[in-house]
Amino acid sequence: MNSHFKTAWSYIRRSPFQALAASFVLTLTFFVTTVVSVLVYSSSQLLTYFETRPQVIAFLKSDATETDIASLQHKLEANPHIKDVVYVSKEEALSIYKEATSDNPHLGELVSPSIFPASLEFSVTDLSFAQSTIDEIKGEGIVESVGFTAALGGESSLNDVIGRLKTITSYVRIGGIAFVGLLAVTSLVILLVITSMRVVGRRDEVEILNLIGASKGFIRSPLVIEAFIYTLSGVLLGWAISFIAVLYLSPSVVTYFGEIPILPRDAIGLFKLFGIILGVELLGGSLLALLGSLIAVSRVKKVR
Amino acid sequence: MFSLDTLNYPKIMSQEETILISFKDVAKAYGSVVALNDVSFEIKKGEFVFITGPSGAGKTTILKLILGEIVPSKGEVRVDNLNIVNLNDKNIPSYRQKIGVIFQDFKVLPDRTVFENVAVALAVIGLPESEWEDRVKHVLKLVGLNSHINSFPSQLSGGELQRVSLARALAVNPKIILADEPTGNLDWDTSDALMKLLEKVNEEGKTIIMATHNIEIVNKYKKRVIHVDRDDGEKDKPESGDDRIKETKEK
Repeated sequence: MNSHFKTAWSYIRRSPFQALAASFVLTLTFFVTTVVSVLVYSSSQLLTYFETRPQVIAFLKSDATETDIASLQHKLEANPHIKDVVYVSKEEALSIYKEATSDNPHLGELVSPSIFPASLEFSVTDLSFAQSTIDEIKGEGIVESVGFTAALGGESSLNDVIGRLKTITSYVRIGGIAFVGLLAVTSLVILLVITSMRVVGRRDEVEILNLIGASKGFIRSPLVIEAFIYTLSGVLLGWAISFIAVLYLSPSVVTYFGEIPILPRDAIGLFKLFGIILGVELLGGSLLALLGSLIAVSRVKKVR
Repeated sequence: MFSLDTLNYPKIMSQEETILISFKDVAKAYGSVVALNDVSFEIKKGEFVFITGPSGAGKTTILKLILGEIVPSKGEVRVDNLNIVNLNDKNIPSYRQKIGVIFQDFKVLPDRTVFENVAVALAVIGLPESEWEDRVKHVLKLVGLNSHINSFPSQLSGGELQRVSLARALAVNPKIILADEPTGNLDWDTSDALMKLLEKVNEEGKTIIMATHNIEIVNKYKKRVIHVDRDDGEKDKPESGDDRIKETKEK
């Protein structure tokens, strides 16, 4: 084992309460960081889901010919503010209806394709284009009526939902970043205090090491390594606790949100998400350890 | 019985008359307090030199100048053909690694064992960890502390602590050993034992410069003496011609 690491480890063993205090604060910091990261991810997914699902449905008149429909579809696809244009025929509409009412087969038996209008479903790239697009589509001769996704219940409610989601998402982001920032500053101060205490407590040792020819790097290395041990243990513990919590809660969360993919559905996706979070936290933790310890060790008495 | 050769150290036994340390018109002042004034002397390789004088005469200042801990206010200090005034902060550590130091207050690390106290010097010079054990055990055997290898400083006597300090100094195979009042905290028997050890180290070729005001030691071991007086203007003109320095050649 590297001698600097051994020295750092002996510092930790000889002051277990300081070490525990540092590890707890850093674990809390990175636990909250991981949770906030997952919340930011989930709220973004939620927003994206509502923003990108078929928002506008143009119900077509029964006498609309295939040529007219194809022409309108091409026109819509050419519009830069419109995406994901899908034609749903009467038969497809019926099968969607049957699928949706599969728990009550009688409902499906009572209807025929003729009562369902064919439709063109599409999304707008930005909700601000929704109203003008709807007005434009309403003017088309083969369009009977235009509406928003039935589940959301119309234009105003869709705008409300998206607006609220955007507000919540920005609150999560701003609040989360502020909270994580506050904890990061607290962790930095804790590291500064502990490393400074080491420096002050080992003034004689520093003097002896100086006299026998130790370089500044040699003297400072154990202190920097000690800060890294606290930080990296904090990152790994905080991350692991939140990962286990998410794994435990994800079945209920996924069931609650249904088809909305607020968490990755597959294991690889989930591991990828947490892998990215861990990587970023390791990087941030290293910077925190380096900054905290180097500021503190710069207080080592400057002697020739 | 007592040999550093088994550690495969480069032999520095040469008794050729090469100048290892030279002070030329060196003065050192701490603010308005003059610690040394126009001091000049030379020390050859392999010499054992006592620096004597009353407290405050500048004995420790001379050692600090050699160690590069302080720089002279005036004059030139050369060690192994190196002008220590020209050493920058980056070069100081590697320079000091060639010098072993023993202090009156031992300066051992209280929370480390005897083994670790010696090994830290080897870590400082960057010796691979795999070579530490053999070397530490060997120098501890040389100073007679092999049975205390795992003891902590609090479990040792003053003489033993001083031997830990000597073992740490010897472990890195220094060219020079500086001893600042090494017998200051020891009784006569322990001091005598330490001196015998230092004499043997000197016989192996190490240059030893020892600051002391223990006249009994100086008289018994009959080495070259550099005597430094306080600069109070009432002393007789020194024999060497320098303002405050008087030399006694080895008897």
